[in-house]
Amino acid sequence: MELNLNIPSWSDLRFWLPEAILCITFLVALLGDLVVRGRRTWVPFAVSVAGLITAGAYAVAAMNHGLDAGQFQGHTIMGSLMIVDGMAGFFRLLFIFASLVTVLFAWTSEEIMGKRRENKGEFYALTVLLTAAMMVMAEARDLLMLFLSMEAVGLISYVMAGYMRTSLRSSEASLKYVLFGAVSSAIMLYGMSLLYGMTGAMEFDGIRNALISGTVDPFALLVVVVLILAGMSYKIAAVPFHYWCPDVYEGAPTPVSAIFSVGPKAAGFALMIRFFYTTFAAGTDAGTQLVQDINWPLLVAVMSVATMTYGNLVALRQTNVKRMLAYSSIAHVGYLLMGFVLLSSAGLASILFYLLVYTLMNLGAFFYVVAINNHLKSEELSDYVGIGFRAPWAGAMMVIFLASLTGVPPFAGFVGKFYLFTAVLDKQWFWLAIVAALNSVVSLYYYFKVVRAMFLSTPAEGTDMSPLKLHWLQYVVLAMLAIPTLALGLFFEEFKGLADMAIGMMGG
Amino acid sequence: MFEQFIPVLLVLLVAAAFAGLFLGLSSWLGPSRPSALKNSIYECGVPARGSTQIRFFVRFFLVALFFLLFDLEAVFLYPWVILYKGMLAAGHGMFALGEMGAFVAVLLVGFIYIWKKGGLEWQ
Repeated sequence: MELNLNIPSWSDLRFWLPEAILCITFLVALLGDLVVRGRRTWVPFAVSVAGLITAGAYAVAAMNHGLDAGQFQGHTIMGSLMIVDGMAGFFRLLFIFASLVTVLFAWTSEEIMGKRRENKGEFYALTVLLTAAMMVMAEARDLLMLFLSMEAVGLISYVMAGYMRTSLRSSEASLKYVLFGAVSSAIMLYGMSLLYGMTGAMEFDGIRNALISGTVDPFALLVVVVLILAGMSYKIAAVPFHYWCPDVYEGAPTPVSAIFSVGPKAAGFALMIRFFYTTFAAGTDAGTQLVQDINWPLLVAVMSVATMTYGNLVALRQTNVKRMLAYSSIAHVGYLLMGFVLLSSAGLASILFYLLVYTLMNLGAFFYVVAINNHLKSEELSDYVGIGFRAPWAGAMMVIFLASLTGVPPFAGFVGKFYLFTAVLDKQWFWLAIVAALNSVVSLYYYFKVVRAMFLSTPAEGTDMSPLKLHWLQYVVLAMLAIPTLALGLFFEEFKGLADMAIGMMGG
Repeated sequence: MFEQFIPVLLVLLVAAAFAGLFLGLSSWLGPSRPSALKNSIYECGVPARGSTQIRFFVRFFLVALFFLLFDLEAVFLYPWVILYKGMLAAGHGMFALGEMGAFVAVLLVGFIYIWKKGGLEWQ
């Protein structure tokens, strides 16, 4: 490909409308927050919800249009810094949905709004901006944009983790996140500088062409792969770059932990897929890696096993539900990484489908913790005894989420795991499939420890058993997540088809 | 590819050996008669008093941050100014102007935010 030095033009914005809308929404929400006085704190909230819905509508329209016209192989925009293709379209919808439900649920959270709802609306503005940054992460096709988008997501995340200013735990989470983020960014940047030095290209396809021409030293390339993989593994919290994850999730306000456990992780996966499959593999269904001397699939497979085993084993010992969910999200990254090593489009499509399912069930589980925290001011498992009977509907939905996270049929988690395992077995990675299957069994224990506390354990004498009154919006949002979790377990063809198409229409 | 770096390694080793040799010799052969005056941190100036880790008022950090922020943003204007003439000649004038307009508008929102939140007041 020739070097593209075209000056970008406003017409590129046509393909970038959802992101542009979100950026404008962020500014309006921030200004709206300053203008309103007194008790009208709903303004930034309403602006953010409206912006997210509008952006979502445009993203759906763009997806439909791209599918109809068969032209979703990708539009490179902004002077070839970004690409809008089928995969970017899929992730756009995922991020907008996740942010929308988070914003809706945060409205009812005492951690975000304060005890007397005295906090204003920065949270909503930040979530909107985070969504836009994550969407750019899924679209980046240039080392510069890759780094810039990752830093944008990182910076917003640091602020959001420390959102409860008066809480020591929250500030600690924020600081830890900053320190780990700075170090891993530096490591990745070093790898990127080496890669640029060796190939002389910033765009992913330019790097691939330089690698094909075969003038690159294999050992140096291995160093590059390890360094860049380290930076990205930090973003998705894969072992051994996961240390920040439990502390940040536990310390941050729970709605923030919810979006952290889904959004930036999915964005990290989008980035990893695009980067590794356009630079180090010859396309999504290559079957072999591009440079034979470095076996990055095996490297990632070892990381995958370490991640899921570590996450599951440590989750067993947790007594804090939020911390347990943090370790469970580490374990799920391990499952997701399995699909990444296969060098097949089936593997990648099952990652996308699993991310969709994971978004539903993991957000649901975190939101239940938010709802309970409003009343109990605690996330300890020992305080959850009998809580299922105090809010039966929400409790039942939590059981759905936990069962789906375990991967029990007929819930969506089972279907997601089924596709992943099929893809792994297709490529004859038997040991990987066996370890993952054993891990799923382990996870049953800690997920159902929560269920047992909620419904089966007998509360101690004198425990308050009065019914909990949850906000109506909380029921609505939980149902928005629980119903698809159930439905996707039965009617999954459509969405699996969408994931297949998204991977099929990934442009370089 | 490593062979070509062996001379570098040799230089490093020789340098370390020389430094070690002379440090060792001077501490072995040289007389050592310490006194309170000799052991003070500097043999000139005023003796240090108190800890160096004192607390700064948080406002200093805020002002420093704002300064850094707006100063750096202003730096972005310079390359734009250099390129603007060329873009104007190439017929991309409105586009370039619009881009900078959007950039400055975002900056302005940030400035309003800081102002309204009381970040610029020394209280």
